[in-house]
Amino acid sequence: MNVSLDKQYLPSERYKRHAAYLSVLALVIIGLCTYFKFEPLLFITDFHYMADLVVEMTPPNFEVLWRKEKIFISILQTLSMAFLGTLVGSTVAMGLAFLAARNTTPHPTVGVIVRTLLAIERVIPSLVILLLFLIAVGLGPFAGMLSLAVGTVGMFGKLFANAIEGAEKEPIDAVYSVGASKLQVIRYAVMPQVLPSFIANLFYAFDINLRAAIGLGVFGGAGVGYEISMAMRLVRYRDALALICFTILLVFVVEKLSDWLRSRALGQDLLK
Amino acid sequence: MIEVRQITKSTKEGVPILKGISFTITKGEFVGILGPSGAGKTLTMRCLNGLTRPTSGEVLFTDHQNNLVNLTHAKGRELRKARRQIGVIFQGFNLVKRLSAIDNVMIGQLGRINLLRSLFYGFTDDEAMRALAVLEHLKIAHLAQRPVGSLSGGEQQRVAIARAIYQQPSVMLADEPIANLDPTNARKIMQILKPLAEQMPIIGVFHQPDLVMEFCTRIIALKDGVVVRDGDNKMTRSELIDLYGAELSEIEASQRILQPV
Amino acid sequence: MKQNVSWTYSSYRRKQTLRNWTVMLATFFCAYWAGISCKVDLDALRAGIPKGIEFISYLFPPDWTAFADMAMPALETILLAFLATVLGAFLSLFFGLAASSNIAPRWLRNLSRFLLATERSLPEIVILLLLISALGLGPFPGVIAMAFGCIGMLGRLFSDAIEEINPATLESIESVGARKLQVIAYGVLPQVLPSLLSNTIFRFEVNIRLSVLLGAVGAGGIGFQLYYSFQTLQYQRATTAILITLLLVFLSERLSNSIRKKLSQEAKL
Ligand SMILES: Nc1ncnc2c1ncn2[C@@H]1O[C@H](COP(=O)(O)OP(=O)(O)OP(=O)(O)O)[C@@H](O)[C@H]1O
Ligand SMILES: [Mg+2]
Repeated sequence: MNVSLDKQYLPSERYKRHAAYLSVLALVIIGLCTYFKFEPLLFITDFHYMADLVVEMTPPNFEVLWRKEKIFISILQTLSMAFLGTLVGSTVAMGLAFLAARNTTPHPTVGVIVRTLLAIERVIPSLVILLLFLIAVGLGPFAGMLSLAVGTVGMFGKLFANAIEGAEKEPIDAVYSVGASKLQVIRYAVMPQVLPSFIANLFYAFDINLRAAIGLGVFGGAGVGYEISMAMRLVRYRDALALICFTILLVFVVEKLSDWLRSRALGQDLLK
Repeated sequence: MIEVRQITKSTKEGVPILKGISFTITKGEFVGILGPSGAGKTLTMRCLNGLTRPTSGEVLFTDHQNNLVNLTHAKGRELRKARRQIGVIFQGFNLVKRLSAIDNVMIGQLGRINLLRSLFYGFTDDEAMRALAVLEHLKIAHLAQRPVGSLSGGEQQRVAIARAIYQQPSVMLADEPIANLDPTNARKIMQILKPLAEQMPIIGVFHQPDLVMEFCTRIIALKDGVVVRDGDNKMTRSELIDLYGAELSEIEASQRILQPV
Repeated sequence: MKQNVSWTYSSYRRKQTLRNWTVMLATFFCAYWAGISCKVDLDALRAGIPKGIEFISYLFPPDWTAFADMAMPALETILLAFLATVLGAFLSLFFGLAASSNIAPRWLRNLSRFLLATERSLPEIVILLLLISALGLGPFPGVIAMAFGCIGMLGRLFSDAIEEINPATLESIESVGARKLQVIAYGVLPQVLPSLLSNTIFRFEVNIRLSVLLGAVGAGGIGFQLYYSFQTLQYQRATTAILITLLLVFLSERLSNSIRKKLSQEAKL
């Protein structure tokens, strides 16, 4: 035979290579696990604790959902935090996005500054922001809502700015060519192009913020997340399971609802 | 070897596509199937591998150990065992685009090698060299390590042929194996298939009546889901015009795709 | 004729204006009630801003000596996120396959999709709280919580990628007499590998962020250091933890972006 495979493509060489990679990886992981006293075997040896927990949690005590007014309020709080956080955050994000995008920024330096700020803001963990607001305005849903709003600005400022930069140039030039001002160009050439992506992202932000509102509630002392963590801490597991089931249902339903609203909004060119 | 008995196939809505097709292929035959587009050639081939179940009728396959398998009812292990021995070259190649050409060829023997070994791509060096030899036979050994998605249509076509040859089946089904090749390469592939047909019968779908008449031992013509002709490898002009329509003679005049018969 | 046209246009505008006002009023109404239930208090915010700024001044300068103490927790966070991602991706692959219409039978696909959607609705922190009640505090429940938390998102993304595979390719592998597992190993995995890896790496980035939050609840790592420093009023030490967290998040984002860019080029092939 006058042709042959490169040595590295021979199956036997291929296994040797893969086996070498895998064993190095396995060694590193095992080494690190031992160093941090991290025992995955716990999952098997301690599995009966999980089984016990499941037994203790069932059947869920759904009565808490209507017996306690507090629970009802906490659910409303979670929804409100997510809604207002999204609304305030995305409004600010939209404004900043026009300052940041290269084709609409009033001045290139402003654009660079805003983009840098957004980038820094995006990497700050939500927990840190929440802790700051807890100190500023105290424990409660307001602090949670504010930190969600700030998180939304970081998350969506950049997405919005990218959408604006992605807008087609021809319509913009066309509107400029009739002597329009920058604001008019934004209103008549940029807005119509980026609105669908804004709306889609708005609903996406709401979905994310709803989950985050549940998580941050545990620390912020508000909302259904806090109620779940309290129920767990007070060893009222059956109440906790009822709340968890309800939370899942809530997120599920709200997500479907927001999907439906979004498709309606996008389908009808709402707000144009 | 393979016997097709009165198979019919209708769509879900009940529109008949195959309307009772029968033929028997035995050892040493190189059958060319001709027919206009939409005649049901691909569908017939799919029935022969058990990929499509006919609405009625039967496909009987006798394997090399003389076991009779009814492909219309076979399931699971029995079906897999039969399929090992029926090589298929698909009309659209249907290769795995991100795997290299040689890995695609080695897929041909998946039905034969140990399951555990195969899950980890555990081919032996010997198997790889044999696959390479088949590629070499088809003049594409230099492409062995390229992902198939980056090959041209004709190159992919030859990888698909290599896969079927490497599979070492006892029957080969080739759905338009030379459709994407230039005339020279098409002829070369026919020259490769011809001697193979002595070891395993080949059923091929072609759109080149001249090559079929030159290489095949038997021609079956399909039209509107019916066998309109089944016989030797000589088709007359008027038969071809009946099959493809009267426009054929005009095309022939302008392109000379047919040799004088 | 001309009048007719302009009349049509104005009625169109009027209809749109009506719709816009409805949407705006509805939004405003919701926002108003949401504001009440969130206890929005602008006076508190005004009073809080100086408090916040004063507090930020406590954070500086960072406690540079704490860097040494935090190196190991930072490494631990990376390890936790990595293990959780690998484990989660592995589990997601099974769910992803079970949720794909070209691999799994219809009932299994629908069941898996339903389970994935349910998991997506369950915040990771709730899973962690559950695991902590069962297994106690520690990094281990954190990893399991993050791994389970992956399944909803990754499983869905994986199965979407798998469903894009041309069924003819899978069929052609079946035609040589291959078994289902072989079809998966040869037809599915190589085809979806780039998108699989790219989504997994994205999830690693998410898990790094998440491990800060989960760490605070008791899963260890840098998140625990951060929260603990805050709770014990060692604010300058907390700043160090924040800086390290920023670095981790920033680096993981960079890494994930550059790898995913390469992968997407490869996938185009
Ligand atoms: N799954 C299906 N559902 C409905 N109709 C189908 C299906 N598969 C094939 N057909 C129809 O059956 C007919 C025969 O198809 P087939 O693919 O066998 O044609 P062919 O003879 O191979 O044509 P070509 O030379 O173009 O490859 C076509 O009209 C096709 O539209
Ligand atoms: Mg066909």
